Amino acid sequence: MRPMLTLALGGALAATLWAQQFKFNLDHLASKASDSVDLSLNSSMLQFAGKFFDGKDPDEVKVKKLIGGIEGIYIKSFQFKNDGAYLPADLEKVRSQLKAPEWSRIVGVKSGGDSENIEVWVRNENGKVSGVAILASEPRQLTVANLVGNIDLDSLADLGGHFGLPKMKKK
Amino acid sequence: MDWLEQELTQALARKEPAPGFDGRVRARLHRRPQWLAIAATILVMIGGGEAWRQHQGQVAKEQVMTALRIAGSKLNRVQVQLKGTEQ
Amino acid sequence: MIGLTAVRQALDFGELMREHRAMVFSVAWHFLHDRDLAEEIAQDVFLSLHKNLAGIETPAHAGFWLRKVAVQRAIDAARKRQRRPQVALEDVAEPSVRPPAGDPMLGEMLRKLIATLPETPRMAMILKYQEDLDPTEIAETMGIPLGTVKSHIQRSLALLREKLERRGVGER
Repeated sequence: MRPMLTLALGGALAATLWAQQFKFNLDHLASKASDSVDLSLNSSMLQFAGKFFDGKDPDEVKVKKLIGGIEGIYIKSFQFKNDGAYLPADLEKVRSQLKAPEWSRIVGVKSGGDSENIEVWVRNENGKVSGVAILASEPRQLTVANLVGNIDLDSLADLGGHFGLPKMKKK
Repeated sequence: MDWLEQELTQALARKEPAPGFDGRVRARLHRRPQWLAIAATILVMIGGGEAWRQHQGQVAKEQVMTALRIAGSKLNRVQVQLKGTEQ
Repeated sequence: MIGLTAVRQALDFGELMREHRAMVFSVAWHFLHDRDLAEEIAQDVFLSLHKNLAGIETPAHAGFWLRKVAVQRAIDAARKRQRRPQVALEDVAEPSVRPPAGDPMLGEMLRKLIATLPETPRMAMILKYQEDLDPTEIAETMGIPLGTVKSHIQRSLALLREKLERRGVGER
C-alpha cells in the first residue's frame, strides 16, 4: 500500500509543481527592491481573464489568442536603486534548475560590458515546447519569467514591441 | 528667428511643477489604486455577484496584460538585437 | 551568445522623472493653461511610465515616449473639458503700456494667446517653441502630416502677430 500511496502523492505533487516549472527563490530580494512585480497566473486565472478581452480591439484579440496556448505565467521582476542589490548566485540558483535535460537555452543576448543579459530557455516534452523561461538581468533590474504551455514566442515578442508604446525609431 | 519667435521661445520655456512633485508621484505609486479599493467595497456591499465577477475579471485582465508586457518586452529586445546583428 | 557593441544604460525611474518632469508638466500647462490639471496629467504620465518601464529601451526612448504620451494626455484632457480651456480672446487684456522685449507681461500675454488657438495648432506651437522640435518631429509626435504642421505654425504666427499688433505690440 505504502509504495502506491507514495506514487499517488508524488503524482499530486508533480501536478502542483507543473503549475510553475522551476523555483524562483527570489523572495528575499523584495525588501531590497525600490519596486517589484510578482505575478502568478495559473490556467484557470488565464482562462477567466481571457473572457474579458475585447473581441473588437485588434491588440486584445492577439492577446487572447496568445494566452489560449498558455497554461501559466509566473513572473518576478525587481527594480533596485543601486548596483549590487542582488548576487550572481541568486540568478545561478534559477539557472541551475534549467540545466535539467528537458530545458535548453535557445538564445542569450549580452550588451557590451556585460551591463545587460537576457537568456531565453525552452522546455521540450515529447517534441513539443511546454514552457519558456526568460532571465533578464541588469545592474539595477532583475526579471525572471516562466511561461508554461505552448508559447508562440514570435507573437509574444511582437506584442512586447508595441504594447501601448510608441515604437523605438531605428536610426 | 524673428522677435516674435524669440519671445515665444521665452514665454514657452519649460517650468518645473510645484515642489514635491516626485514625492507625490511616488506616493501614488505605492498606494493601492483607490478606485480598485472603492470599487471592490461597493461591489461587496451591494452583493452584486455579476458585478463582482466583472471586477475580478478586469483585475485578472490587467494582471495578464502586465505579465505579457514584461515578458514580451524582454523577448522583443532579444528579437531587435538579433535582427541588428543579422544586418 | 551574441555580443553587441552598443552599451545599454540601466534606466532609473527617479532620474527619468527629474530629467523630464519640467517637459511633461510644461506641455500640459502651456496647452491647458491650468496648473492643477497640468500637475495631475504630469503625475499620470509618470505613473504610466513606471508601468511601462520594462519596455523602454534607452533614456532617449524614454524622452520620446514621455513627450508623446504627455501630448496625447493633454489633448485628451482638453477634449474632456469640452470647452476651449482658459481664455477667451477678449480676456487677453491690452496692455496700457507696450511691454518691452522679454517682459513677463508680454510672456503671459503670449501664453494666453497660444491658449486661444485651436488644439492642433496650439500643440504644434508648444512643441516648436517649448521643445524646439522641427516640423518633422512635431508631425511624428502628434501623428499628423508634415504639411499640416507647417501650415498650422505659419498661420498661428500670422494670427499672433495680428493680435499683438492690435494690442500695440509689434516689431521693435
